Amino acid sequence: MKTILYVEDNEFNRKIVRHLLSRTTYRLIEAIDGEAGVTTAREARPDLVIMDIQLPKLSGLEATRQLAAAPETQGIPIIVITSFALAGDEQKAKEAGAAAYLAKPYSPRELLGMIRELAPES
Amino acid sequence: MRLLESEGAVGPTVPAPETTPGPGERIAGLLLAYSPLGVLVRRVARIRASVHSKLLGAFLLIALLLIAMGAMSLQAIASVARQSRLLDQARERVDASRQIEHALGLQMNFTRNALLLRDDSTIESIFRENKRFQDTFDRLEAGAAPGQRETIERIRNAQDRVMATVSRISALLRDDKADEAMALHLNEGYPLYREIATLVTRAVRTEEAGMGQLREGVEATYRRALVLMGGFAVASIFLALGLGFVISWSFILPVRAADAFLGQVAKGEFGGSIDVSNRDEFGALAERMNHMSGELHQLYDDQRRAAHQLQVLNAELERASKAKSDFLASMSHELRTPMNAILGFTEMIRDDIYGEVPEAIREPVGDIHTCGKQLLGLINNVLDLSKIEAGRMELALDDYVVDDVVTTVKLSLRSLAATKGLDLIVTVPSDAPLCFGDGKRLTQCLVNLTGNALKFTREGHVEIRVEVQGDDLLFAVSDTGIGIPAHQVDHVFEEFRQADVTVSREFGGTGLGLSITKRLVELHGGRIWVESEEGKGSTFFFRIPVRVTREPVA
Repeated sequence: MKTILYVEDNEFNRKIVRHLLSRTTYRLIEAIDGEAGVTTAREARPDLVIMDIQLPKLSGLEATRQLAAAPETQGIPIIVITSFALAGDEQKAKEAGAAAYLAKPYSPRELLGMIRELAPES
Repeated sequence: MRLLESEGAVGPTVPAPETTPGPGERIAGLLLAYSPLGVLVRRVARIRASVHSKLLGAFLLIALLLIAMGAMSLQAIASVARQSRLLDQARERVDASRQIEHALGLQMNFTRNALLLRDDSTIESIFRENKRFQDTFDRLEAGAAPGQRETIERIRNAQDRVMATVSRISALLRDDKADEAMALHLNEGYPLYREIATLVTRAVRTEEAGMGQLREGVEATYRRALVLMGGFAVASIFLALGLGFVISWSFILPVRAADAFLGQVAKGEFGGSIDVSNRDEFGALAERMNHMSGELHQLYDDQRRAAHQLQVLNAELERASKAKSDFLASMSHELRTPMNAILGFTEMIRDDIYGEVPEAIREPVGDIHTCGKQLLGLINNVLDLSKIEAGRMELALDDYVVDDVVTTVKLSLRSLAATKGLDLIVTVPSDAPLCFGDGKRLTQCLVNLTGNALKFTREGHVEIRVEVQGDDLLFAVSDTGIGIPAHQVDHVFEEFRQADVTVSREFGGTGLGLSITKRLVELHGGRIWVESEEGKGSTFFFRIPVRVTREPVA
């Protein structure tokens, strides 16, 4: 059973992913800010991280950078959810160490496809 | 900001010029600092007269000295000449005295002969010599010095008496009274002769002594003249040197000060002042320079103040711009987050994540999804326009395949076309090269144009056509719609414009899509235009380079 960490401060968006994954074998753990995301990832060692780009306390980009740099978490694929605020968000996400990115608003269907690709259901 | 510190202060005074001094310069510097010449230089500088007058004055002074020297030489020459004349006269007198002596001797001799020979002719000779004696004596008497007068008077008396005696002797001889004549000669004549001889000898000595004195006087005068000339020559040289030094340095100092001052100004150090004591043209020049310096300082201050204000304003603008940009970024995110939830939930409902959707609510859920997407499109347009207005629209340049772009457009608008019963035709050359630009933004442009075309077309078809023309890509989106009235063709790309208010009522839309599209095309270094005939349809064209240069024209 694969564990997925979703770092997102908006309850409704967390609920979407919660509902989306409820019909799958994935186990979902959640964090509501960047710092909590990094801590949880270190402790729980998930198989995949979905990281919103704009988070309280620590930005999603910075959190991604820290996870990609730390030896215990650097192997975990990260999907960064960008919001296309300004050009170059995708580039920044890639540079920070993201395996993939998805623009908000994303289609849950599309997100599920991406999750299955990066961390196939066992 | 060096000048910030000197604000308010009068400004630095100009230092002495910083040339490396040669030996001459060093001597001049010492003279200026420690000798009275330095004081003189400053005095001359302070004289309220023009440079012309000062130079003339200096030359005149030297000329006067030369004239004085000339006058003194002339005087010396005149004095020597006068004394020479006196010497000549003295020599003449000495001659005359000697002649008298000689005549006296002859007179005595002839008297003696007359006494021996007793002839008249000899007696005549006595008178002849006496006559010569008298003539010479007259000359001597005329030029005699006052000290000689007495001697001469005595000689004349003695001579007169001798002549009387000689007359008596000659009378006695004529009467053949030789013995009486002899006795008369011996008793009266001879002593008188002796007396005269003594007196004449004394006169000769006196004259000779006077001549010697005169000669010495001439020599002394000559020596004095020589010393005077030498002294004048030396004085002239020193005066010329001194005047040259004083005059030239009274000009050099202000020129150097001006030079140093201008050097400072040239280096951009305004506000200094030049301190020159001259009251001539140099002084006037220095005053002008100080005035100019003040003006420059004022100008510089003004300019700096303005620059500072601009800087402050700039910083404010930058802050405002940053705030706007931050606001845009956060707004974008804040708007998308709830949109994400709305669209996400409706999609999952429609995907039966929550169980099978009852048929009765399947349609309204679909409508929520469609309207949500429309709202998202509007939000995107407003944000794009804000970015364009803020000058922050940037392209994410990368390689793209033109066929992918057109396919994406076709896929996203396929259902709309199908709903309206319109054909969506796509023509892309199969050999199109790999392109370089912002594929996403170009997709957005084509979606805008094609969406519009579908929106304004009730029946017929909409065609997307792409052509490669040399180094350019030509995109054309044509429809068989309502067209654009001729007088509005020029305005369709302006913001918030739609051909007709009634049109927007029927077809919807904000009128932002075209202006955003135009701007995006221009960011690619391209051009957009439209050809349209009312009632028959429109064709929108845009042409962009196949490979966009790194920094497109903003």
